Amino acid sequence: MILAFALAAAVLFGSGAYLLLKRDLVRMVAGIMLISQSAVVTIIAASLGRGRAAIGVGPGDGVSDPLPQALALTALVIGLATVALLLALVHRAIVVFRTAEQDELAATEAEHEAGLQRQRQADLEETGTGEEAETRVEKENRVWGERGRGR
Amino acid sequence: MGRARAGPLMLLSTALLVPWVSGAVLVALDGRRRVVAWLAVASLAATLAVLGVLAADVLTEGAREVVTGGWPAGVGIVLRADALGVVFASLSVLVLLAAAAHEAVGGVRSRTFPGLVVLLGAGLTGLFVTADVFSFYVFFELAMTASYPLSAYGGKRRQLRAAVVFTAVNLLGSFIFLLSVAGAYRVTGALAMDRVAERMPAVTPNAALLIAAGFFIAFSVKLGLFPFHFWLPTVYAGARPAVAAILSGAVANIGAYGLLRFGADLFPEQLRHAGVALVVLGAASVVYGGVLAVARGDAAEMLAYSAIGQVGYVLVALGVGGPVGLTAAVLYSVVNSLNKALLFLVSGMRGALVAAAFAVGALSVAGVPPAAGFVGKLELFRTGVVAGSVALVVLLLVGGALSLVYLFQVYQRRFWRPDPSATGAASPLPQRLSAAVLALVVLAVGLWPEPLLVIGGHAVDALLAVDTP
Repeated sequence: MILAFALAAAVLFGSGAYLLLKRDLVRMVAGIMLISQSAVVTIIAASLGRGRAAIGVGPGDGVSDPLPQALALTALVIGLATVALLLALVHRAIVVFRTAEQDELAATEAEHEAGLQRQRQADLEETGTGEEAETRVEKENRVWGERGRGR
Repeated sequence: MGRARAGPLMLLSTALLVPWVSGAVLVALDGRRRVVAWLAVASLAATLAVLGVLAADVLTEGAREVVTGGWPAGVGIVLRADALGVVFASLSVLVLLAAAAHEAVGGVRSRTFPGLVVLLGAGLTGLFVTADVFSFYVFFELAMTASYPLSAYGGKRRQLRAAVVFTAVNLLGSFIFLLSVAGAYRVTGALAMDRVAERMPAVTPNAALLIAAGFFIAFSVKLGLFPFHFWLPTVYAGARPAVAAILSGAVANIGAYGLLRFGADLFPEQLRHAGVALVVLGAASVVYGGVLAVARGDAAEMLAYSAIGQVGYVLVALGVGGPVGLTAAVLYSVVNSLNKALLFLVSGMRGALVAAAFAVGALSVAGVPPAAGFVGKLELFRTGVVAGSVALVVLLLVGGALSLVYLFQVYQRRFWRPDPSATGAASPLPQRLSAAVLALVVLAVGLWPEPLLVIGGHAVDALLAVDTP
């Protein structure tokens, strides 16, 4: 029984980890869900005594510890709430970014990066490393600008 | 049911109920109205006042314990306020108060912000005063759930991306924590912290080490320590300044407190074994954070990497262990969270007062007297000396030098530009004053460190004391 629970928890965690590493945001959420379920299965397994049933107990038989089942219920509810929140966030992100790919989200950093160029240019002017530095900054700015417009 | 039992019960439940009730009410109101924002500030101030009374009580009388619901101890959930928990609770609420006041002055941009900050305060307060592993998880999730939408505050693309990353990573950390709770229950058959601590030595070493590692990973993710830091720069740099201050000054305290509480209280044996590994990880954090902070140009990003470096010191102190190391870890956590809150709040502002506040924060991070950071750094040096390790002292010096370089690099960029177009116009005066007040707090702690040292000593005594039921 314990082995079955351990295997179930391990398979859930492994599948969750696999999905987490996907590029798609929705798959990532599914991965986190599976990992949360793996934690719940582990909690239930924590109460298993050898040869004592967790459910479907006949009259007069020994029962397993009820406390982890209360914990599992609590953990389920919390997990549901947090995953719902994450889904709402991801939905919002998909609406705003018009994509569900992680990489596309990361591309917004490039725009921010371009904003930092002005600072760098000011630095270069102060240190007086002159012309060639300035042209490099301008070139970079142009490249980032084109990428930004491409979105 | 005499007065002796009613006192701590009243105090503890008030400390929990004030932010809880007011947060629940405030979330339903429109936070963009000034009244609501200031109500949130008021309720946080009230919470801080109650916690102050509780702290005075705890420091004079010793730890206070309440079993909820009138159950016998061992059945009911135990709330226990000891020096360590009270220090962290007061500190976190102070940071939340500063951030909420900062936003209230500047004008809140979303309906839910004030209520969420207060609810975050409720979660954090509960987490620091519970003595039960599972209710720790519940409060932990309450606090984190409030902080997820907070990290999206502002609603621009960068903030959204920060929120998605922050939520995903921290949910993962939470479930790893839950797995460890399940493991701890499996091997000890208890959830109350003192009983878990009692029965841990009898557990097979492998199982205990695995469970301790799970807790360690969960808290390290919260703190953003070196191998678990990957999410932190994106989030701290992407979030708005007030939110970044909340995340680094209040939410990250969960990680520091968790490492101290679970490490020193529940798994002292495992902590001793892993000492060297912790010091190495901490040193890697310090160097990595420092070097990358020097390399980044943007103030927010610099501060994010700096945060990674600063929590490395806490881990180093924890790895050295013993009374001196733990004291240093507690003090440095406190000082660091004040520093980071101040610097992140200031990073979004402009003007002469702001420059002064930033300079105070920068000096404090670098550990230059008279700022608060000096006290923390001094304790760290003591740890290095106690450990008898030259490498540690050198590491501290290198880390301090790096932090001076990156902070004043940014200072020069922000406040010393010759043309005003690069620095921008000054922020509204009340906002600048709020930053100045926080800077004064940092200075005051540095100039008069006695109370902090005493409290830190008490907190460590509470950790190292053999629990008498």
